[in-house]
Amino acid sequence: MPLADVNETYTDLVTTVFSTTIAAKAWLATAALALVVVQVTTAARIYGRLGFLPERGAAVATVHRWSGRLAFLCTLPVFFHCVTILGWQTPNARVAAHAVLGTFVYGVFVAKVLVVRDRSLPGWALPAAGVTLASTLGLLWATSALWYFVNVRFGF
Amino acid sequence: MRRGWRPIVAGGVVVVATFVLAQAQVFAPEAPSGGPVRGDVKRGAAIFASTCAGCHGEGGVGGSPGPRLVGSGLDAAEVAAVVEQGRGVMPPGLVSGAERDDVAAYVASIAAP
Repeated sequence: MPLADVNETYTDLVTTVFSTTIAAKAWLATAALALVVVQVTTAARIYGRLGFLPERGAAVATVHRWSGRLAFLCTLPVFFHCVTILGWQTPNARVAAHAVLGTFVYGVFVAKVLVVRDRSLPGWALPAAGVTLASTLGLLWATSALWYFVNVRFGF
Repeated sequence: MRRGWRPIVAGGVVVVATFVLAQAQVFAPEAPSGGPVRGDVKRGAAIFASTCAGCHGEGGVGGSPGPRLVGSGLDAAEVAAVVEQGRGVMPPGLVSGAERDDVAAYVASIAAP
């Protein structure tokens, strides 16, 4: 497949559901952000916070794991389009901030996953990595999807 | 290397790889360079209303922060290039592919002085 056709194919795929490519990305990012909120909430419960939620245990851990996996899946099509088709852009502060955060997000994600698996690290390492990842995703959403919903259009 | 540094090193490698990939823009389409852009004006009007009118105003009469497009004299290739590459606060790739061509055809139709 010629490289130029990737953009056309991507557009054709996402516009079977959404009105435009950027609308698709905005909603996928919003879904990812919603799942990140679930991640932070369940993580807090696992650490004994938010006592109004159900008992910590296997169910909370399962929800935490699956919300993370789904959030990651939601970010993949967005990441693919932003990185391989749009590329590095810095025409203004918002886009520049988005580009920098987007460059870091999967690096922070990989670091967080490795921290989860490394039991030799101090206890604060995992919450710190999780909060960093959630904050990065939140700021990425604010500099893209939120901007789109406020300034362009709130719709599918 | 101490084991505790592994997450930071691995994350740093991914950050550098992402930056290199973003610089390469491996699947970026070539920007239109003045060649003919064939789009459907009617479809372009619908896409414009849903995607562009928020900034450029209904029918391209001008808004905030988008400038007036009616009577601007832009041709379809120029519009397609701006849509592809972005300009000012307008991000690149708001619409792409056939959608971009349709919008370009519509804007060219209202831009005729």
